[in-house]
Amino acid sequence: MIPLKFFDKREKEKLLNQLNEQFGINEIPWKIARLGKERIIVFSGDISEKEILELDRVARIEGIGLYFAKVDEKTQDLRLSIEGVQLVKEQITKNIFELDEKQAEQWMMGQEILLADIKTFPEGGREGIKKGFFIMKFKNDFLGTGKISAEKISNFIPKSRRLKYKEERREE
Amino acid sequence: MTRRTYEPKPLFIERMKELLGKDFENYMKILEKEPVRSFRCNTLKISPEDLKKRLEEKGWKIKIPFKDYPEIMVVESELQPGELGRALEHLLGFYYIQEIASMLPPLVLNPKSGERVLDMCASPGSKTTQMAARMENSGLLIANEMKIGRIKILAANTERCGVMNMIITKKDGIALCNRFKNENFLFDKILLDAPCSGEGTIRSTPRTLEMWNIKTIENLSKLQKSLIASAIEILKPNGELVYSTCTHAPEENEEIINFALKNFKVKVEKISLPLKTLPGITKFGEKEYLEDVKYSCRVYPQTANTEGFFIAKLRRDPNLKGRLSEGNRLGVLARKVK
Repeated sequence: MIPLKFFDKREKEKLLNQLNEQFGINEIPWKIARLGKERIIVFSGDISEKEILELDRVARIEGIGLYFAKVDEKTQDLRLSIEGVQLVKEQITKNIFELDEKQAEQWMMGQEILLADIKTFPEGGREGIKKGFFIMKFKNDFLGTGKISAEKISNFIPKSRRLKYKEERREE
Repeated sequence: MTRRTYEPKPLFIERMKELLGKDFENYMKILEKEPVRSFRCNTLKISPEDLKKRLEEKGWKIKIPFKDYPEIMVVESELQPGELGRALEHLLGFYYIQEIASMLPPLVLNPKSGERVLDMCASPGSKTTQMAARMENSGLLIANEMKIGRIKILAANTERCGVMNMIITKKDGIALCNRFKNENFLFDKILLDAPCSGEGTIRSTPRTLEMWNIKTIENLSKLQKSLIASAIEILKPNGELVYSTCTHAPEENEEIINFALKNFKVKVEKISLPLKTLPGITKFGEKEYLEDVKYSCRVYPQTANTEGFFIAKLRRDPNLKGRLSEGNRLGVLARKVK
């Protein structure tokens, strides 16, 4: 049986508060569920929770909805998936880390970014930067979540979504 | 890059000559040409206008071949091998690399917001993601696949495209339909993109010629009949089913539609597609099919400049109560006894 548990009103409210605190997100207009221990999924399908359980009994559910976020085991903070970030990008106002072109490429290749290599930091400089999860952004593209620690930004781009090598612009 | 070629087997040539007549030479010629590089804008994430603009800024020459379907795009400029697949826009799920003919069955089924839709043989997810986009991530889309390895590919593709109205199930298609029938879990629309011998993919996968054999076609035909019979039974009254394959073999195409028309309360409906198609055939070798089978569509590489495909749309009787008309039911039983 699929290890799926839908959030009740109270759990949804708690999650929204946390999303608001971390990233400024105010609204998740879809069903939210915990899949396994850590994964949080969002589901927009028009089917009741009761019917989903029934469906699982009848047809063995292997997947449902979209992987939205993961709860960090140590800090209990939320790390949004690359899809999760894209889904609510209009609402994200906090903890955004703007990448330059070179860093964005490095990021999409799955590499971590060393803080020592960063030339310009957001307001407050390197010392003022908080630790924890940040939304990585290049121009209008939202590129998932990174975790800023003392020395680096850890990368969580799944292997299947990484750039294999540098993209080359072609001349007109 | 030189394309490796395979020698078609004599029986394959004979059958294609019967199907195509004078057009056979054109068919053989186009198989030697590289297929068109097409892809579909994922409207769940980006509008066709924005995607086109963005790709053109990279220096790609983009064409929109059908004005009614701006999400269908073709790259006309030369690209490096694999360049389309490793572009940032692809990794971000802004487009899905898909052959134009393979985009046609979801266009015919035309699933809408709020409908309950089943994709019976869903992996790798090209048509699933296309249907989710047409449904605007609402309603319910059940994507079934029986092999776990293929489910992983399906899940990765649907995730990349931001599909969230979908449930993935793992079951043999026939068993799945039987279960749904027992639970009276019915669908507004079903896509049965059936496993097939893949004759239509020879242009992109010439090795199909090497693997081709008539026994496979005969076995697949039996499986396809079982699949369509099971699928029809879980359609709501007036529900629609699109049957498609990427093969030219009549045993896997018209014969299946003929079987459905003879044994179930369904009718085959006329369909219109944005490219040149040929009607379904009503005679092949010794076999003859019902006249209405002609409403099916044959897509050939030499006429449409795509891969080969077969598409038919069935509608279940709106006043339906039983599965088969009594006469047909007895007919099926009689055949089973034989």
